[in-house]
Amino acid sequence: MKRSTVYWLIFVLAMLAAALPISAVKFGQPAPDFTGTASNGKTYHLADYRGKIVVLEWHNNGCPYTRKHYMSGNMQKLQKQWTARGVIWFTVLSSAPGKQGYMNASDENGYIAKMGAAPTAALLDPTGAIGHSYTAKTTPQMIIIDPQGIVIYDGAIDNRPTEDVKDIPGATNYVNLALEQALAGKPVETAATRPYGCSVKYPGSWF
Amino acid sequence: MRCSTASVRLFLVLILGLILLPSVRASVASIPHGTVDLIAENQWIAPGHQSDLGLHFQLEQGWHIYWVNPGDSGQPPRAEWHLPTGLTVGDIAWPAPQRLGTPTIVDFGYDDAVMLLVPMRASAARSANQPAQLRAELRVLVCREICISGKAQISLVLPVRSVPPTPDARTRDLFAAARNSLPRAAPADWKFSVSDAKEAFVLTANLGRKVPQATFFPLEESRIDNSAPQKFIPLATGFRLTLLKSDQLLKPIRRLKGVLELSANQNYVIDAPVGNPSAARQRAGFRFLAK
Repeated sequence: MKRSTVYWLIFVLAMLAAALPISAVKFGQPAPDFTGTASNGKTYHLADYRGKIVVLEWHNNGCPYTRKHYMSGNMQKLQKQWTARGVIWFTVLSSAPGKQGYMNASDENGYIAKMGAAPTAALLDPTGAIGHSYTAKTTPQMIIIDPQGIVIYDGAIDNRPTEDVKDIPGATNYVNLALEQALAGKPVETAATRPYGCSVKYPGSWF
Repeated sequence: MRCSTASVRLFLVLILGLILLPSVRASVASIPHGTVDLIAENQWIAPGHQSDLGLHFQLEQGWHIYWVNPGDSGQPPRAEWHLPTGLTVGDIAWPAPQRLGTPTIVDFGYDDAVMLLVPMRASAARSANQPAQLRAELRVLVCREICISGKAQISLVLPVRSVPPTPDARTRDLFAAARNSLPRAAPADWKFSVSDAKEAFVLTANLGRKVPQATFFPLEESRIDNSAPQKFIPLATGFRLTLLKSDQLLKPIRRLKGVLELSANQNYVIDAPVGNPSAARQRAGFRFLAK
C-alpha cells in the first residue's frame, strides 16, 4: 500500500474515532458540549454557561412519570426556585418526530405557558443528538453540571420511582440535595441514581 | 301453575344456598391493554399450610410489563394486599425475564403474558368456619412505544377447610407453566466467582461442561450496564462473562446477584461474592425479593 494511502487511512480513522462518543457520560466527567435550539427560537451553547450550575431535565409530556411531576406542579416549583438562585435550567425534548413527547416550538411554548413551567429554555432535540451524547435513557432524567463543566449528578429526580403524585411530598428530592450541596461548595453526596421513567423516544426506537 | 309451600321452600333454600355456599371466584380485572386475574393453586385454604396464588397477566400483542429489576426504564408491577387475619403473603417469585428494548436502552420484562407467583401462608390458628376474601390493589406499568400506568382491584374468595388442600384442576396448567418458567437454583457442583476489573465485573462459571452461550440479568438495579454487550469467552468447563459496570455504581459491591440464562429454558439464580478469587458455592433455595 502506498504511504500516502496509509496516512489518509489513519487520518480518516482518527476523524471517525473523534466523532464517536468516548464513553457514556458519568459522574465526575466533563459534560459534553452541545448547541441546542430552544422553543423560544434562541440557540444555546453549553460552553457559554461555564461559571454557572446547569440542570438538564429530559422531558416527555405524555409519560406518566413526567406527568406526575408536572400535574402536581413539582417540576415547575423546582424550576422557579432554582433559576431564581442563578441556576440555568434546560428542559430537553429528545423525542423523535411522530413519537410521544415530540413538540414543535409553538406547541412547546404553549405547554410551558399552560403548565406554568419556568425553565431557562426548552431545547428541542428531535434528532436525539443531545440525548445520545448524555446517554439519557428516561423521562424524567436529571443531569446537573457544575460551574467547571463537570457532571455532578445524573439520575432520578427523587427516590420514589412511582407514577403517583402522592409520593412526591415524602420523597427525597435528589435534585434539591445536589443543588444545595453544590451551591454551598460541598461535594454532592448522592451523585448517581437509576433514573425512573419512560424510555426516551429516540429516532428509530419502537420501544 | 300453583306453587306448593314445599317447592317455594325448596326454591328459597336453593337461593340461600347459592348465596351462602363458599365458592371459588376469581376476579378478572382490566389493565391498560390487557387483563390481570388473581388465581389460586388450590381449591381451598388449609390453616397451617402454604400454597401459591398467581397474578396472571395477559396483554395485547406487543405490550409488556417489567421484571423486578426493570432495567434502564419502566417499573415492575406492585401489589398492596388486604388479607383477613391469619393469612400472609410472601415475596413475588418472578419468572425468568426477557430482554426488551433497543441497543441503547435495555429493559427486562415480559411480553404478552406472564404469571407471577405469590406464596400465601395460613396460620394454624386461622379458623375454618368462614371463607377468606383476598384482595389486592395492583399498580402496573404497561408499555409498548408509550407507557400507560394502570391500577386494578383484584380479589378472590376461597373456602377455608381443616383438611390438606387439593389442587384446583382449572388452574393446574397455569401454575405448572409458571413454576417451569422460574429460574432454578444452580446445581450444587456449579461454581461462580466474580472479580472486580475496575470498569467491569468478570463472572467466571465452572459448570463442569462447555456451554455455547450465557446472558446475565442483574437482580438489582445500578450494578451493570444493561445495554453493553456481555463478552462471552468459553472455557473448557464453563465460561467467562464480562459485564460492564453501571454508570450509577459508584461504590464497590460485595455480591453480584442475578439470573443466568444459558438457553430459553435454562435459567439459574446466582448470587456470587465479588472479588473473592476462590470459587463460590451456589446457594440453593433462593427466593427473589419483590420490589
